[in-house]
Order: sequence, then structure tokens, then C-alpha cells
Amino acid sequence: MEKKQLDMLVALQDLDMMIEEISEVKRLGFSAEREEEIMKAREELALKIKKPLLYSYEKLKKRYKRAIVPVKEDNTCLGCFIRLPTSLSSIGRTDTSVIYCEGCGRILYWLT
Amino acid sequence: MTNDELLNYFDELLFLPDLKAQTKDELFEEIVDQFVNVKYLRNKDIVLEMLNQRERLGSTGIGKKIAIPHGRTTSASDVMIAFGRSEQGINYEAIDKKPVHLIFMIIAPPQDENNMYLPILGKMVEILSKSKNRNKLMSAETYSDFVEIISKG
Repeated sequence: MEKKQLDMLVALQDLDMMIEEISEVKRLGFSAEREEEIMKAREELALKIKKPLLYSYEKLKKRYKRAIVPVKEDNTCLGCFIRLPTSLSSIGRTDTSVIYCEGCGRILYWLT
Repeated sequence: MTNDELLNYFDELLFLPDLKAQTKDELFEEIVDQFVNVKYLRNKDIVLEMLNQRERLGSTGIGKKIAIPHGRTTSASDVMIAFGRSEQGINYEAIDKKPVHLIFMIIAPPQDENNMYLPILGKMVEILSKSKNRNKLMSAETYSDFVEIISKG
């Protein structure tokens, strides 16, 4: 259940990053004219995410721009660069629960 | 950005001169699989989802046999570029409606050092706009050949 929620949250952030850079990408000569389709996809995806989790994502996004940050294999949060306890990483790597960084409060996503 | 700086984002392990894919979906799978195989990415589905959403926005097939699928994803830690080549060509729904033969897949993290992702995209477009570079890339046999083309491009 949580795994799917985290995956959807990550997909939402990926869409948000895409939307943010549409004008720059267009300026480079790429086709990016169907903005409304992406906005619609974002809306549909957001509806599938549990409200408290979505609220937490939006709040973190407002504060940090990126609500979810990758964690490298040495257990470093790429948001605030603190080393996370190894006990967290074994849970985090399973993607079964949403884990927040003890340092900066962002949502963590393990890369390896 | 110089051509040599751009080369820092390529890797021989992501040099795929003989793609087997025949469709756009297979193409994305084949290249993303390689990212996963060499352990640059863990979650294939997240990256495929991002690439497909990017295509919904508009085709990254920029014409003249070239496609540059690209995007930022939370599941990456560094900017990485894979090069793939298809001899038979792939129906990519490119802007000129012609098959795509040369593919540069650019995957970027949410935040990258010095924010190089957009300059990289721009540099790729610049290099690939020259027909001599496209022709040479069609016949590059080894990764060293490839590096030389990009370096001099």
C-alpha cells in the first residue's frame, strides 16, 4: 500500500519538475506544446495520493522546492547531506513506508 | 559548456550501438534496462513513467533521425547520458515523422551540481544540428570513435 503511495509521490514530483522547466526546454527547441495534458496527468495522479501525504508533499515543496530527495548508497540525504542511521536505510530501501529525513524533514527516496 | 565537459556525462557502459528495439516503448525499456543493469538507476518503472509523460508533453524526436528523450527524476543522483543507435530505425512519432536512428537519453536528478542539465540539453542539440556529426555517429564503431566525434563536434 505505502510502496505504491511513495511511487506515486515520486512520479508526482517528476511531473512537477517537468512542468517547471517547460519554458526552458521549449527555448532549446524541443516540442513541449501539450502542457495541458501534463497538468491533467498531474491532477489525476494527485487524486490517487492520500490527502495527509499529499498535504505534507505540498508543504515541503513550498519550503524546499523539492519535497522528496534521493538518498545515496552511503546513506547521505541529498537534501541536507546528513548521514542517516543504517537502521532507517534497511526500511527505506524496501519502499514500504514513507520516511522523513531526521535532519531536514524532506521525504527520502533510496537510490540503491 | 565545452564538448569535453559534455563527455563527462557519458559512459562506455551506456554506449549501445546496436539497439534491438523496434518500437518506442521497447526502445525506452532497452535503454533504461541498461541504466539499471549498470546500477545507475534502481527503479525502472519510475523512469519509464517520467519518459512517457515527457512524450505526452511533446515528442523528443527532434527530426533528422535524432531523439533526445530526457527528464529529471527523483530516482537519479547524477546527470547521465546513454547513447543508442538503431540501424533499422524506430518509429518514434518524431516531429518530421521519420524514423529515429540516433538516441541520446538524458536522465537528470532533482538537483544537479551547478545545474548542468539544461546546458547539457542545449549542447546536445547544438552538436546534433550538424549533419557531419550525425553522419559520423551513424558509423561510429567503438566508444573511442564516439568520444572523438563528440569531442570534435
